[in-house]
Formats: sequence, structure tokens, C-alpha cells
Amino acid sequence: MNDTAEDEEDAMLKDITSMLTYFEKHRGNLIPILQSIQEKHQYLSPLALQMVARHLKVSSCDVYGVATFYNQFRFHPPGEHQIKACLGTACHVRGGDIILENFERKLDIKAGETTPDREFSIDRVACVGCCALAPVAIVDDTVYGHMAPSKVEGLILGFEIEKEREKRKKQSNESK
Amino acid sequence: MIKLIVDNNEIEVEEGMTVLQACLDNEIYIPNLCYLKEMDNPPGSCRLCLVEIDGYNQPITSCTVKVEEGMVVRSNTEHIRKLQRTAFELLLSVHHVDCKNCPANRKCELQRIAKFLHFGLKLKRLEPLDREIKVEGDHPFLEYVPNRCVLCGRCVFVCKKKNGQAMLSFAKKGFDTVISFFGEDNSARVSCEECYACAEICPVGALLVKNSKRSAHQRLAKNNNSQRPRPSGRGLKKGNNSLAASIPTLPGGALKGGGK
Amino acid sequence: MNQNSKKKLTEVFASIKTEADKRFKEIKGDDDQNILIGMATCGLASGAIEVKAAFEEAIAERKINAHIMPVGCLGHCYAEPLVLIEKPGFPPILYHNVTPGKARLLVKAFLEEGDPVFEHILGSMEENDIIPSVMEFQRFNQEKRIVMANSGLIDPEDIYHYIAKGGYSALVKALTLEPEKIINEIQESGLRGRGGAGFLTGKKWQLTRDVNEKDKFVICNADEGDPGAYMDRTLLESNPHQIIEGMAINAYAIGAEKAITYIRAEYPLAVKVTKKAIEQAKEIGLLGKGILGTDFNLDIVIFQGSGAFVCGEETALIQSIQGERGMPQPRPPYPSQRGLFGKPTIINNVKTFGSIPPILKKGAQWFRGVGTEKSPGTAIFSVVGNIVHAGLVEIPMGISLRSLIFDICGGIPEQKKFKAVQIGGPSGGCLPEHFLDTPIDFDSLTLAGAMMGSGGIVVMDEDTCMVDVARYFLDFTQKESCGKCTFCRIGTKHLLDILERIITGKGKEGDIELLERLSIDIKEGSLCGLGKTAPNPVLTTIRYFRDEYEAHIREKRCPAMMCRALTAYYIDLDRCARGCDACVGSCPTEAIFTTRDRKKGIDQTLCVKCGECMTSCPVEYDAVIKVSPPELAPKIERPEEG
Repeated sequence: MNDTAEDEEDAMLKDITSMLTYFEKHRGNLIPILQSIQEKHQYLSPLALQMVARHLKVSSCDVYGVATFYNQFRFHPPGEHQIKACLGTACHVRGGDIILENFERKLDIKAGETTPDREFSIDRVACVGCCALAPVAIVDDTVYGHMAPSKVEGLILGFEIEKEREKRKKQSNESK
Repeated sequence: MIKLIVDNNEIEVEEGMTVLQACLDNEIYIPNLCYLKEMDNPPGSCRLCLVEIDGYNQPITSCTVKVEEGMVVRSNTEHIRKLQRTAFELLLSVHHVDCKNCPANRKCELQRIAKFLHFGLKLKRLEPLDREIKVEGDHPFLEYVPNRCVLCGRCVFVCKKKNGQAMLSFAKKGFDTVISFFGEDNSARVSCEECYACAEICPVGALLVKNSKRSAHQRLAKNNNSQRPRPSGRGLKKGNNSLAASIPTLPGGALKGGGK
Repeated sequence: MNQNSKKKLTEVFASIKTEADKRFKEIKGDDDQNILIGMATCGLASGAIEVKAAFEEAIAERKINAHIMPVGCLGHCYAEPLVLIEKPGFPPILYHNVTPGKARLLVKAFLEEGDPVFEHILGSMEENDIIPSVMEFQRFNQEKRIVMANSGLIDPEDIYHYIAKGGYSALVKALTLEPEKIINEIQESGLRGRGGAGFLTGKKWQLTRDVNEKDKFVICNADEGDPGAYMDRTLLESNPHQIIEGMAINAYAIGAEKAITYIRAEYPLAVKVTKKAIEQAKEIGLLGKGILGTDFNLDIVIFQGSGAFVCGEETALIQSIQGERGMPQPRPPYPSQRGLFGKPTIINNVKTFGSIPPILKKGAQWFRGVGTEKSPGTAIFSVVGNIVHAGLVEIPMGISLRSLIFDICGGIPEQKKFKAVQIGGPSGGCLPEHFLDTPIDFDSLTLAGAMMGSGGIVVMDEDTCMVDVARYFLDFTQKESCGKCTFCRIGTKHLLDILERIITGKGKEGDIELLERLSIDIKEGSLCGLGKTAPNPVLTTIRYFRDEYEAHIREKRCPAMMCRALTAYYIDLDRCARGCDACVGSCPTEAIFTTRDRKKGIDQTLCVKCGECMTSCPVEYDAVIKVSPPELAPKIERPEEG
């Protein structure tokens, strides 16, 4: 582990410690606590789970058992762009699995994984309730309706171009 | 005392007892895995103890119903046996059957139930299911064999009962559910070496005492004989007890491959 | 309640109502121009934000005096973004599929120049002689809006809009009544829980009221997890106060002072809107301590569900609020006797709470006049899938499936044939054509092998494979099984595996019977409702579409040509146009090659059967052909390189 990673972890621990003070030591607060940690830090690290356990005076494996039960919780940092392919009924009937497959193939990862460069992660979601727009994919917070395999290419290309542009901008700023 | 009729025989039991316990106490065996007498709220999860009770329109788990005066219970109808066999068959389909090499051989509840239900230990109509499980959270004294585990939860119950807080718990969900030792630092686990209640209660040999060819049963028998006192407090054990060393890896979502 | 406090209560509320009317009039006066934009999740996903920005810009540019009002959802998802424009001298006009361009056009042509731009109109909301009224459409005509009455017409983030429309008057009425009287009224109305099982709401309330405990809880179950059902989300996003009012009446009737709204975390907008609604209600004294000057106290908090479908089951939901794994518990004890933290707890669905204020306002007899004798009131469905007018509908119970699908929702698109309708989500069943005349009510649907469930309806056309549909639902329930009990945890996995092998052409003789036998045992042996209903999609598809199963198993053929392992695409060389490259560009796996005479062929080993080539092939050639079983595709060899 390099220094920056350790610094990051330290900062996260400090932040979680201060977050915990806002919650009463009540078992019923377990899920809200986990939710707010994840909202702020994108995922739940093993140490975070242990801190929560200590705060609520329950065993760590108890907290771990609860956290791993719920789909919402992640235990690894997600990618920069989070892709969610909806596999609700309406999306399925209209080929949602083909959309998911296209994302998977394009990024060479499976649902639930993150690309090695941490740019993208893909998740499957049960239903986001936009059934009239099926098939649907959500990238970050934007819902894309009426998806097609060709649109998948376009979306990812868009992000890559954007990133390239930012990189160039940064480079040109640096060279100035 | 309360009188009820089970399979046409009248039995008399104390009030407040579950139907299952009443039957077991009166030598009427009903298959069961997840039930323990000490439980206030039995989980009713293994679904083996189903019976028919007059007044219920469906078979119901006898571990979750309290006895009532005049209750009429049937535990051995063809219909009940069919359901029990299916439940058993399902459990068997995820149980790695290798009795000869299993420390629980001859003490295994599954063997007992198979005999009782006249059900072989070989699957006939179902394919065996492979559960791809990585066990997280290494434990210094205990070994968990997920492909034997029937997820009855007895271990979680006894651990909580004995230690106040469970040092092991169910983790993940659905078909991927496992028993996990996540997270306690090893200092807290010193007491495990003196306890082994979980391994002792395991009905199928899925929780074993590590580094020992002897089963927990044997080890416990020995412990009980010598009546060793439990160490006071949770003293730190020398060696591998730093917090970092005890943090296990977490499941799912791992990075794919190396840097590409 | 004595006369004095009654008087005080009415006075306190009267001043709130006056304020609401005043504020509402300020924007909805006779000379005001209003632009109402549907901004619930569906609207947003279709581009409502851009449309709103375009309206704002155009108004500012042209210096037009008009209010822009974000509203919830009218339920016409197929027509989103939906905009309602109110202009003096015209009836309120609904515009559909509005784009930023249309928005600018409407501001210029309609608001500025008075031309309502007929070509973009869906209809007018009132009868008039200029523009056809929406009531001429079956969609509007046959609907009966009780719970959704104000959805899409008021700003959900402004409590005064709801009050101006008569909101919270049912709560005021309730507070003047004895709790027993309220429960009687609900019992008499015959309202049944809208969460799926259809238990009598009034009876449930009575049971909870009868328990002698100080602390009681009211929980609103908005953990809507059925894939394809989103009415609870829409209701909360469109008019949260009607739900809050229903909860408050419930709490007063059973003597509870704490209530929880349990919303899926996947519904961020619903969480936000509901949170704001609770704050506003508290601010003006409709929640909190001493509500409206009475001695009734009520706190409502939001709990966000963490994405476990099983938590829609009431005992599992309670477990998760208690900070445990959301695993169902054996019943009895029922939550109405021993629920959250061991206290008596009422858990009702969003739609149930939404029905309470109208019942109290208009009376049990009025409610009984809507719907059928045993299922009074309305049902809200989300109708999706292969359907022309997808969206939310609120209809009186008892309407037939046929008129819901073909009259109200416009039937099947592209003149395809109807095949089946799936009702009740993963717990429900698939009904074929000869059930189309089944009336929609709790008992008739159950009798047919489906169930009301939470109200998701998925319409399927002839291109849908019923084996695949069963597999889809089993895949869902299997993934969402909590893992507690043997039948559901392992049984659904076996069902899924067998279905997987059937759709990939590896099915064996006897598989259908095995599916049936396992399903029956799982239904009977499982601990909770999830497991007990999980096999329904399998059983109903086998019952009504057995021939499709047999075709998969015996002929390795998918009659609907949907199962990808059993289908293949090929290019008909007689139709393929020399030199055309449309399909090549569309193929995501570079499976399409050029033959020696510059026509195209598909490399079957690379093809993933996404169907993009078929879509991209110009209609005049229509050269891409899909077949099942795949052996029917003629072999075309890829020419050697060079």
C-alpha cells in the first residue's frame, strides 16, 4: 500500500469516527449508519464495519452479516462511472440482457465488477421504475431510455472522449 | 398439563411447550435440524418438522406452534412425508456427501434423517448443486466447511447464548448464504479455544476444530472431563493479534485480473 | 372530543386552509398562465429537465408572464415528458412527448400568439368546443381516480397545493371522531390491503387497536420491489401528502404516536419528496406534538430499504428496521400483535394509505359504490411490456383484463398478437388469451392462478417465450431469496437450473413433471410469502403453455424465437444487396463478413444474437432472417483472407 492510499484510509477513518457520533448507540441505527457511510465513501471497508460494530457494541461479524445481506452495500470502491443495467420485467421483455451483455463485452468485465483502471463498474438492477422507456440503463445518475447495443458503444465512447479532452486540457494547463 | 393427540396417541405435556418438543419428549420423532430446546423463537427454517394440525389449512412447522388442549396432530401422513423428503432431498443436493471421510460420520443428523425417511443419500431426480464459496474470515481455531453446512443456524444461536455476542454469523444471502467468522480480532477469539460450543452443536460436521483429527465432540468430552477453568477476561494472546492481521478480505466486486 | 376543542380544531385548520387558498390563487388565478411539467422519475428520464429549462428560457426571452410548476406524474408514461398548459380563454391543454424545441414553439405560438398548436396536443382536460377532450379516450374515460386524483396536477413539494385541493380535511374530520368510529367506517368500506394479499384493512386496524400497549407503530410499506411495478414510487413522488394523511388517520385510530415510511433506497426522488412533505406538515402543525391543537401526537420518519426484495414481506421489513438481516419470521405472532420492537404494528401499502382520506371524506358507502362487492374501490396498475400506452392506470375493480389492455392501454404495438399477461410480479402468474375476460379483483385473479400482487402488469406479445418468462421470474426470486428456509433457498435454485437447461436446449424428458412436483412442494413448504408464491410463474406457464416447454425439450426449438441458444440469424443471399454495409456497422461482435460476391454472411461462432443486424437491414431488402432451431440456418463460409 502506498502512502496516498494510507492517507486516504486515515482520512476516511477519521471521517467515519466523527459521523458515528451523530448516531445513537442503538441497533436500529445499524442500516442508516451503513447507508450514510457508503453514501459518503462509496463503499464499506472492513475497518469501517468494525468501527460501526464497536460503536453499536455488537460483534463485527454481526454487522458483516447484516451488511452482506443487502444488495445496496458494496465492499470495494466502485468505478468512476457506475453503469446499472435494468433487468426489470419490462426491460427483460425488450432485451435488457442484451444491453447488459454489450456493456460487459465492451468493458470486458462482468456485472458486479470494476474495470482495472477503475473507470467503470457495471451492476444489474432489478427495476428502476422507468418501464415505459425499456430497456433502460443508468449511468451515474442519468437514466438512458430505449437502449440499443449501438447506444452502448456511443455512451462509453462519449465518456472516453470526455476523459481524453479533460486530460488534454490538464496537460495544456500544465504546460502553460 | 395439556393433553393432545399425535398420530392417534394421546400425550400429556407441560403448557407452553412447542408441538415438536412435546413429540420428541414422548418418543415421537419428527425430523428437525434448526431447532434447539432452549430457543424462545425457533427460526423454523429447515422445514423438516412439518406436521398437519387440525384447524390449520396447510402443513405447519411443529417447532413454531405451541401445544393446546385437545390439539390433533398428524406427523406421519403420506403428504407430510412427501414434503419432508423433498426438503431433505434439497438439503442433500447442496451437501457434499462423503461420509467415510467426514468427522461427523455416524453422528450426522442427515444420516439419521435419511434412515428415518427411508431416503438414500444419493440424489435421484435432482442434480447436485455446486456452491462456489470462498470462505472469508480465517479463524485460528475453527474450520468451516461450507459444502457440508445445512445453514441450520444452531452454531450462531449457541454462540450468542454462551458468549452474549455471536462470534460467528450468517453472511450474504439466498443460495450464497454462509456462516462467517468475519472481523473479530484474534484477542476476542481466545475464548473460542475454550468453548467450541458451535462445533459441538453442528449436526453435520461443517464446523470443525482446527488442526485436529479429533472431532469437536471428542475434544469436548475431554474438556468436560478435565473441567478446565475458563481464563478470566479476554487476555491477549501472543503473536498474531494485531488489528490489521485480523482483517479478512471481503467478497464480490473484486477487480478483474491484473493491470491490463 | 368536546365541543370546545372541536371548535378550536376547526379554527386552527381553517386558518391553514385560508393560507393555502390564498397561495394557490396567487399562481392559479383566473388570469394566470401556468405550465405544469410532469417531473416524476419517468418524466425526468424522458428529458423533463431540459424541457423545463427550455420553457424558462423562452418565457424570459419573450417576457411572458407564466408560472412554471413542476408536478408529479399523470401516469401516462408513454407520452412523457407531459406538459399541461393553462391559459385564460382556453381549456387546460395536455401536450405529449414535449421536447425543448416543442417547448419553445409552444411559448411562442400558444402563449404569445394564442395558437394552441393542434399537432402536438394530446387533448384538453375539460369539455369544450375547440379541442377534443381527453375524456374521449378510453384511457381517461374508463379510469376512476381516487388515490391518484391529484397526481400530476399539483406541486408535490408544496403542502398548500394539496390543502387547497381539499387535502388534510379528512384528518381534521378524523380528529373529531372517536377512533372506534373511524375503524368502523374503514371496516364498512370493505377496503382491502393493496399490498397484494388483500386482507381487510379495517380488521387489521381493529386487531391492533385491541392490543393493550402504550407504544404502537404505523408503517407505510413503500419497499416496492416487484420488477415492473412502480405505482408506489409515483404516488409518493406525485402527492406524498395524501399518503401522510392516511398514515396520520391510521395512527390516531389505533393510538400510535410513531410512524415510519419505509422506502426503497433505489427511489431517491421519492425519498426526497416524502422527506420534504413530512417537514412541511410538521412546520404547520399537521404532524408533531399536539396536532392542530389536539392532544394527538405523531412523528413520521423515513427508513430507507437497502435493496432486498424480501423486505417487502412485513416480518422481514420489521427485521431490517431493527438492524437485522431481513429474514421473514414465522407468523403468528402477527405484527398487528407483536411487531416492530415487539410492539403492535400496522403495516399497510402506500395505496392503502392513499385510499383512507377519500373514504373518510366521502364515506364508506360511496367507496363501496366503486368497484365490486368483494373488492370495493380502485386498483392501480402499472401496465408495461408490449403495450401501446404503457403507464399507470387507476381503474375501478372489476374491469376485465381485455378492456384494461386493449381499450385503456391501446393494445399490442406493431399489430402483433397478444400472447399472455403477467399479473402480480414474481409471485403472480401468466394468463393466456382465454382469461382476458376475467374481471380484475382480488378473488377472480387468484382463482385464475395469478394474483393482484402489488399491481404490476406485463403484457407479452407473440414474440415472447413463456419458458424464458418463467426463467426470468425464477431468476429474480432465486436471487432475492433471503436464504433462510430450505425450500426457497435451494428449491428455487433447482427450478432455475432446470429452466436454464430447457432454454439452452439441454432439457430432458421428465423435466416438466419435475418442475411441477418441486413447485408444488415449494409452495407448500416455504416459510414466507416469497417462497410460497415463487413457483407461480412456472406453474402457470406450464399449465397454459405446455407446448412451448415441449418444443424446447423435444425439438430444441423456441417457438417464439427468443431463447438465444435455440435461434440463429442468417442473411438470405437472394435478398442481400451487393455492397450494402448497414449490418456490418451495427454488429457489436464483428460477426458479419463479406462474401466473395460482396454480399454478407454471419459467422455463427461469433454471433451473440442481439438482432441489431435485423434492425439495421434496410426494409427494402429485409435480408436478415431468424430461425429456430439454429440448424435451419444455411451455412455460409467466411472466405479465406486475401
